[in-house]
Formats: sequence, C-alpha cells, structure tokens
Amino acid sequence: MAVESLPRQDRAQLPAVPKVRAGLVATVLVVALVAGLALATAVGSSFVPLGQVWSIVVGHLVGTKPVPGTPDLIVWQLRVPRALLAAVVGAGLGLVGTAVQALVRNPLADPYLLGISSGASLGAVAVIVFGATAGGVLGLGLSAAAFLGALGSFALVWALARRGGGFSPLRLVLAGVGIGQFLAGATSYLVLQTADEQQTRGVLFWLMGSLSGAKWSVLALPAIVVVLGFLLLQARARGLNALLMGDETAAGLGIDVGRLRRELFVVTSVLTGVLVAVSGAIGFVGLMVPHVCRLVVGGDHRRLLPISALTGAVLLVVVDIAARVALSDQELPIGVVTALIGAPTLLYLLDRRLERA
Amino acid sequence: MRIAIEDLVVALAGRTVVSGVDVIAEPGEIVGVVGPNGSGKSTMLRTVYRHLKPTSGRVLLDGRDLRAMSATEAARHVAALPQERGSDFELSVLEVVAMGRTPYKRAFAGDDDRDRRIIAEAMAQVGVTELAGRSFSALSGGERQRVLLARAFAQEPDVLVLDEPTNHLDLRHQIDLLGLLRQHRRTTLIALHDLNAAASLCDRLHVLRDGQVVDSGKPRDVLTVDLLAEVFGVRAAVVEHPLTGDPLIAFDHQGVREAGRAR
Repeated sequence: MAVESLPRQDRAQLPAVPKVRAGLVATVLVVALVAGLALATAVGSSFVPLGQVWSIVVGHLVGTKPVPGTPDLIVWQLRVPRALLAAVVGAGLGLVGTAVQALVRNPLADPYLLGISSGASLGAVAVIVFGATAGGVLGLGLSAAAFLGALGSFALVWALARRGGGFSPLRLVLAGVGIGQFLAGATSYLVLQTADEQQTRGVLFWLMGSLSGAKWSVLALPAIVVVLGFLLLQARARGLNALLMGDETAAGLGIDVGRLRRELFVVTSVLTGVLVAVSGAIGFVGLMVPHVCRLVVGGDHRRLLPISALTGAVLLVVVDIAARVALSDQELPIGVVTALIGAPTLLYLLDRRLERA
Repeated sequence: MRIAIEDLVVALAGRTVVSGVDVIAEPGEIVGVVGPNGSGKSTMLRTVYRHLKPTSGRVLLDGRDLRAMSATEAARHVAALPQERGSDFELSVLEVVAMGRTPYKRAFAGDDDRDRRIIAEAMAQVGVTELAGRSFSALSGGERQRVLLARAFAQEPDVLVLDEPTNHLDLRHQIDLLGLLRQHRRTTLIALHDLNAAASLCDRLHVLRDGQVVDSGKPRDVLTVDLLAEVFGVRAAVVEHPLTGDPLIAFDHQGVREAGRAR
C-alpha cells in the first residue's frame, strides 16, 4: 500500500545529509594533525628547520643524546609539549562540545557559552589565590577545583533553564551567558584581590585562554582524561543519538535517560575542569568543531565523536601557531584568536536558525 | 505478545493523572485509547514505554512485569512513537531508522549485516527507502512520522505504542499512516484524537476520562451517542459508513452547547 506521498521531483529537491566516508575524513585529519604538529615545532620567534626538529625529536625519543643548545631547548622543552597540549586540549574541547550539545539537545551549546568554563575558571582561580598547595601532584588540586566549579555552574544553568518545566534552547543559552558573566566577574574580583601584579597579569592571560603554561609535566593529566573521556563517550554514542530525538524516544529505545544525563554531566564537567586548569577558558572551539563535523560526516555520534576530537586537535594546533606568530613582539592568548573566529560563527549559526524558525 | 495494564496509578507532581486503569491488548490486536485532552492517555502510554514509572499497578508483557526487565530488554519488546517532534540536529533518515537497533547493541558495537538488513526492511515497509540519505529535519510531517514508524519497526517489537501519531498531519497522510499500521499489524496500543479513525482502525477501544476507563469494547459498542455526549461533550449521530461499513460518527457542529447541557 505504501503510498508515495511526495512527487518524485519534490523528493529530489529535499536536502541530503552530506556524507563523506568517516574513514577518509579521519585519515585526512590525522595527516593534517601530524603536519600541524611538525609546523608548530618549527615556527615561532625563531625558526628551526624541520630537518633539525626531526633530529631533535627522534634523538629524544630513541635516547641518543641530541646536540644540546638553544634549538634543542626551544623544540623539546617548549614547542613539542605546547603543540601536544594544543592537540590534547583541542581534542577535549571538540569532545566536550559534542557531548554538551547532545546533552542539552541544542547545537548552539558549548561549555564556554553555557558558563561551564567560567565555573571551572572560578574554581581554579580560587585555588591559585587561596590555596598555597596550588597544583599538587600533576596539577590535581587545580583540576579538581576546576571540575567542581564546572559541575556546579553546569547544574545551576541547567536548573535555571529547566525552571517551570519548559525547556527552550534560547533560555538555556541566556542562562548560561548570565551565569557565565556572573562567575567571570567573581573570578576577576578574586584575581584583583591578589596584590602581586605579576601574578595578576599571569592569571588574566590564562583566563583568556592560553597554552603558554605548556610543559611536559602538565601534559599527562589532560592527555589521560581526554582519552578516557573519549572512550566513555564513544561507549555511549548510541545513547547520545537517541537523546537527540527526545527523552521519551530515548526511553523507548531502552536508554536510562536520567542515568545517561548524570554520566554526561560528570564526564563533560571533568573534561572541562581539567582542560580549563591547564589552558584557561578557550571559547568557541566546542561550538564550532561539532557543527563543522556534522556537516561533513553527519550527526551519528559513533562517527561524530572521533572526528570532532581530531578536528578540534588540528584546529587548536593551527590556531596556536597563529597566536604565537601573529604579533612580532609577544604572543596572543589563544582564546582571543578562537573568539575572533568563533563569535562570528555563532552569529552566523544564530541567524540561520532564526531564519529557519 | 499480550500486553496488560493492571490497576495502573500514575501521580505526577502530586496530582493523580491516571487512577486505576486496566487495559488489555491481546496478541495482534490493535487497541485504541480515546478520550478528551487531559484524560490521561499519554501518561498511561508513557508507562508502557517506560518513560514514566507507575505509582502503583503494573504493566505486564505476557505476564512478566515490564519493570522487572532491564530497560534494553523492555525496548526489544516494546517500541514507541511518542509525541516528540524530533530534532534540530542534522540526522539522515537512515541514521534515525538505525536508532531502532539501539536496544540490541552493546557499547562500541557497530551495525552488522543483520542490522542493516532489518533497517532496510523497515524502511521498505513504510516506503521511505529512497529518503535514506535525506535530512530528517527537512522532511514533511507525514514523511517524518513514517520514518519514525520505520525506526519503531527496526526495533523488532512485539508491541507498538503510538501517542496520537496522526496529529498535525494532513488527511491523506493520516490515512496513509494508519494504513501502514493495519498492513504491518502487530499488538498495538494507540492513542487517537480522531474517533472515526479509531473506529475504523481499532479492534477494541478504551475510553478514558479523568484518568479512568469509563468504557471498553468494540468501537461499534463503545462509540454511542450517549457516550459522545457524556465523555466528549458533543452531540453526534452514529451511522454506518456507506463505503466501509465501519461506525461513522457525524458530529453536530452546532450542537455542542446542547450536548453540554444534557450532560
């Protein structure tokens, strides 16, 4: 019986979901990531030829002593850990953005817009200002405080957006921006309370989002957390898909929606907390990356999560190069660069959505 | 599979929305749930697809309590078409239908050949095969509902639960969708607004008012002039459909006030 309910020519005009093979995309991204990492270790205030970068990196990896000297110091102690941190943080932000968007069922969400990053910043700054033991082992203290701040602000924004039963995307974003601004104000107050001008400048720089604190010792925790976060999210990819269609649909598909939401709250808050603790609140990456990736590989999280992680890594490695070389005499906080790209992207997305509505 | 709702009570935010409902659908039977807005139809159905937890009472699948099963096991038996309008995200029709395999898959497991065959079959059954690569959010209401029905079919359920699936559809798509249910018949619980559609489609009807079943039986026996006046507050004549022989309710669109008075 199955009646054709649209004439053929109308069907042909329906927009197709573009679908490039995810494997191909992943391959391209991995190549781009390697190239980006190589470039990031070569360029900067002083250029180190790629051949020399290669011999320094290989030398350290296989244990033959590379020639000590300034290039070795710059490449191995500064640029390599920084490039790797950029990749780790970028991958993490791509993952968090994807997960948060599914969690709140809103493609305009990201940890920065929803005030989650601001909560994490407040937690971290509170530790820096009040806690003598700032950092601790692997920066655990800082990360833990940032996680608590992230979880707290996320819960608050969520509660505000859900108040009165209804749940509108606009309300959510407004609640996030409001809470985020409030927390940013509180953070600034805390920072200014610290009399030390040098420290104030450092903290402010970090608040804008910066990878300048990169060194080998801070790399381990975020790397572990991002890998674990990816595995936990990937294991729930089908649940994330179901969540996109609505809570009732997800329940009908056998998903324990309440439990999945709680897990996602914790995973995204831990990721945000750890990322903010090492790099400050880098905005808009979590917004842009999943969006672009959806256009290329579609909305299925089984493909979207790994592709978003890779894209985020490539993006942040490249953006960090730009942040380091844009000004001749000093570097820009990376968050400034992502905001310059990301805010117009947000406005464009908003405009398109309002047109559709 | 037989589904039995026994003495179901659901309280939401302190208000009892469903109070002591018994509904049975025998294997292969299409059972309709009708009643005015706020009578508890949706709430009752939500307990069947486990979105809501009964305050008391049980939902039994062949005698087994649905709540005693894991969420995924229940979802392998019961598939739902809730009233949700879907998603702003760019999902393809194929991706939406493939979601039906969710309760069968472990973490990290991809779709295998069997899944792909079931998904393709489900899309063919409702006639959306050529839409596979299209964006779900760009479809018309009628197309969307068919895709969601395909997703439910891909779940290989013994029981289908549909909450007013024809809402907001134009007439032809309403008839089209209900035709698909008739054609691919399985045990079905369906809430419907359109009483004529319910009379034509359903083997049995349960009439809900204020969270209670006020009448049950074959559409012909249930949909009487008195019941329509009492439960729905409308005046109507019930005649035989000249083409199909189903009960046909002819509403008196000028007589609402009188019927209300009669009540």
